[in-house]
Amino acid sequence: MMSKLGVFDLSVRYGKLTAVNDISFSVAEGERVFISGPNGAGKSSLLAAIAGEVRAAHGRIEMDGDILSGRVPEAIARRGLSMVPEGRRIFRALTVQENLMVGVGLRRDKTAVPDDLEAIYAAFPILGTRRHANAGALSGGQQQMLAIGRALMTNPKLMLVDEPSLGLAPRVVDEVYDRLCSLQAQRGLTLVIVEQSSARAGRVGGRMLLLRGGRIVADGDATAFAADDLLKEAYFGEATP
Amino acid sequence: MTEHQARKLASLTTPLLLIALLAVFVLLVGAFGDRSLGRMAAETLIRVTLVVGFWIFVGNSGVVSFGHAAFACVGAYVSAWVTLKPEMKTLLLTGLPDWLAQAEWHVLPAAVAAGAVAAVLALVTGAAILRLSGIAASIATFAFLAMVNTIWANWTPVTGGTSSVVGLARYVSPWVGLGWAAAAIVVAAVYATSASGLALRATREDEVAASASGIDRYRHRLAAYTVSAFFCGVGGALMGHFIGVINPDGFYLSLTFLMLAMLVMGGIGSLSGAVVGVLVVSIAVEGLVRLEKGVTLGATEIALPAGSQEILIGLAMILVLIFRPAGLLAGRDLSLPAAWVAGRAKTTK
Amino acid sequence: MTLQLLFDALSLGGIYAIAALGIALIFGVMKLVNFAHGQFIAFAVFALIVPSTDAVAVMGLGAAPALVLVPAILAVGAGLAVASEYLVFRPLRNASPVALMVASFALGVVIQNGLLVAYGGRPKAISLWPELGKPVALLGAEVPMLQIIVIVSVLVVLALLAVMLKRSRIGLEMRAAAEDFGMARLLGVRANAVIAGAFALSGALAATVALVLVAQTGVADVRMGGQIMLVAFIATVVGGMGSLPGAVAAGFALGAASVALQAALPIEARPFRDAFLYGLVILVLLLRPQGLFAAASAKPRV
Repeated sequence: MMSKLGVFDLSVRYGKLTAVNDISFSVAEGERVFISGPNGAGKSSLLAAIAGEVRAAHGRIEMDGDILSGRVPEAIARRGLSMVPEGRRIFRALTVQENLMVGVGLRRDKTAVPDDLEAIYAAFPILGTRRHANAGALSGGQQQMLAIGRALMTNPKLMLVDEPSLGLAPRVVDEVYDRLCSLQAQRGLTLVIVEQSSARAGRVGGRMLLLRGGRIVADGDATAFAADDLLKEAYFGEATP
Repeated sequence: MTEHQARKLASLTTPLLLIALLAVFVLLVGAFGDRSLGRMAAETLIRVTLVVGFWIFVGNSGVVSFGHAAFACVGAYVSAWVTLKPEMKTLLLTGLPDWLAQAEWHVLPAAVAAGAVAAVLALVTGAAILRLSGIAASIATFAFLAMVNTIWANWTPVTGGTSSVVGLARYVSPWVGLGWAAAAIVVAAVYATSASGLALRATREDEVAASASGIDRYRHRLAAYTVSAFFCGVGGALMGHFIGVINPDGFYLSLTFLMLAMLVMGGIGSLSGAVVGVLVVSIAVEGLVRLEKGVTLGATEIALPAGSQEILIGLAMILVLIFRPAGLLAGRDLSLPAAWVAGRAKTTK
Repeated sequence: MTLQLLFDALSLGGIYAIAALGIALIFGVMKLVNFAHGQFIAFAVFALIVPSTDAVAVMGLGAAPALVLVPAILAVGAGLAVASEYLVFRPLRNASPVALMVASFALGVVIQNGLLVAYGGRPKAISLWPELGKPVALLGAEVPMLQIIVIVSVLVVLALLAVMLKRSRIGLEMRAAAEDFGMARLLGVRANAVIAGAFALSGALAATVALVLVAQTGVADVRMGGQIMLVAFIATVVGGMGSLPGAVAAGFALGAASVALQAALPIEARPFRDAFLYGLVILVLLLRPQGLFAAASAKPRV
């Protein structure tokens, strides 16, 4: 079977700095893949390159066998890839509902939009109650849910989520992951999640890619990883140049 | 000698090379050119003074100013006020205070005074304008330009209003222009390598450093703005004494455009860019002016319509911004190679 | 007397507000301070008359009935703005705001001198809708019909724009793009469409200003638009760069300040009114460098 997402020999550079160094991996349809690793490992750069925000220096990215690399972000989004970016990047001056509606412009099935909107409000009731409030007034956890809901409103097949737990209380993080997992099950989504905490990834469960210095240093089951002390040592040990 | 010292020494050759380049230009025009080319050479050197002055602020701070033509305006009128014959002034400029109406200065102190008054004006207005962030500051300089123009066009007893002030002594030869251009280049080079200039350029290139040193950045910007205005004031005075007639609209949008075009085409990033930009644009303008006047080619006379000069320069400017955004010199400076300078230093020891 | 001042302030402020909106719209989506906006206005003015360097203006499009003329001129303004975007600003999409600003200044010079070549440098008298100059009695004051029409049209334009931004898809996309263009693109918002849309709107707003200016002054001059553009710039800075409600509020405030200065200044100081206005603004910015209405930009009403 063809993989949902294929990354081949991908490198991302900022000037002389190499953030992602010759990475290859693939993600199967319906899979949940965590990307973990220390700060500066290249996790966010990898997601940005897949979404088309950053131009790859080298390599190829495919989705459903269709080449994504070299396309502008809006064209990639129109192929069914959606992104929940680092820092959430909510449109603060727009209302909650307007935030959710920004991404529906790319959809062909416009008639399904009202039902989808209600589904998002059902999954995140707080967004429903505050649908006409300015998004800037939401709390951090609520903004994270809004960012997820906004990405879902484009009706994606593949969703990239960058550090959903950043700056949130542990209880809220649990809630965010609960919702993400149940939404994934409902919709048959493929998820690629950047998660700094391997323990958290292990508890949620799925596959894990461990990134370090722009390279994949391990690829396996997240729960097994979280239990592995040797790996943790490698993870927290001195960075190799 | 360390490599660092050699490089520093090499950077000192930049102003000398630029002045030599301008001197060669003046000599060539003097030897081979006609009278009208001689005038063009003088005008070009005045523009070098103006644009190098302009560069001291824009090049080092990275903030585009639309207000520097106003400093030229003030400089030109200051020089007119102190050098015009008293009989002329009592006739044309009835509102001048007595001591100004009676003043009959030599042209050199008049030019210095022109620069000084422009510098003081820059210090006062810059203290307000430069507190704003980059783009807002640019807009404020534009408002400042319009403000000065409005005042000059309406303050008839002192400025003559929109009618021109005539009778300025026309003393600006290519050599006078070269003298002031050389002074501007030396001061610009000294400022750029001074602590203030280096600090300012560091903030231009690095926004994080810029916000970390916010207060200092303001002070350095103001310093650069003031020094910069001095030479624009002098340049304005020279313009007045070159044409002999001044008018507020001669120091408004067209001059702003010309100065910006020269700076952008040469490259904002380096002093050499400013000088080369003036030379290139001036030579192009001279050609276009001749075409606008009409050229006889065999039996047909070709003349470009008035305004085509600005259109072509404007288009050239846009093309440079698109295809060579750092300008013709791409931010580099003319200088002798560091290795060569190091070698010379050894042999002279 | 005071009522007359109120009408003056409203109509002048309305023009400033429309011009400021045209600048803030483009600044919002692509961080471009468009120094060619004044020339967009002048271009729309000259689109009314037949190109010739003769002193007397011959109405071309300007002779058409208002029902044809108004949409046609708006289309001319929008077309010029979109063409400028395509030819000049699209190739500079990744350039710095400073480079964009300088390019727009150059574009303005090109347009202005293009008009100079086509129409000559002398101002021309043109009379558009002269019947609107007649005064009408309103609430005990004599108000020119034109002034009322200007105020009403300004309000209509503002309302239409607000509805468009609030209710339409492109409006939503523009507001999202103005806040975070990269994020909007990640959600499939087409950058080219949004930017072209913003330019089209901005050009149509410039054309609106042009029609009002011509009807009020009866003159076509290649330099017209410059002063209004400057005030509009100031309004966008005072309103908090890129904030549309801020730009509108600041436009009206500047109109009111301008009329108040005109009334309050002694006669001999009146020619300096604009100088006072600019000075006042620089003073205001000293006290609030982030703009007078910056706080309002967090919760825009349009």
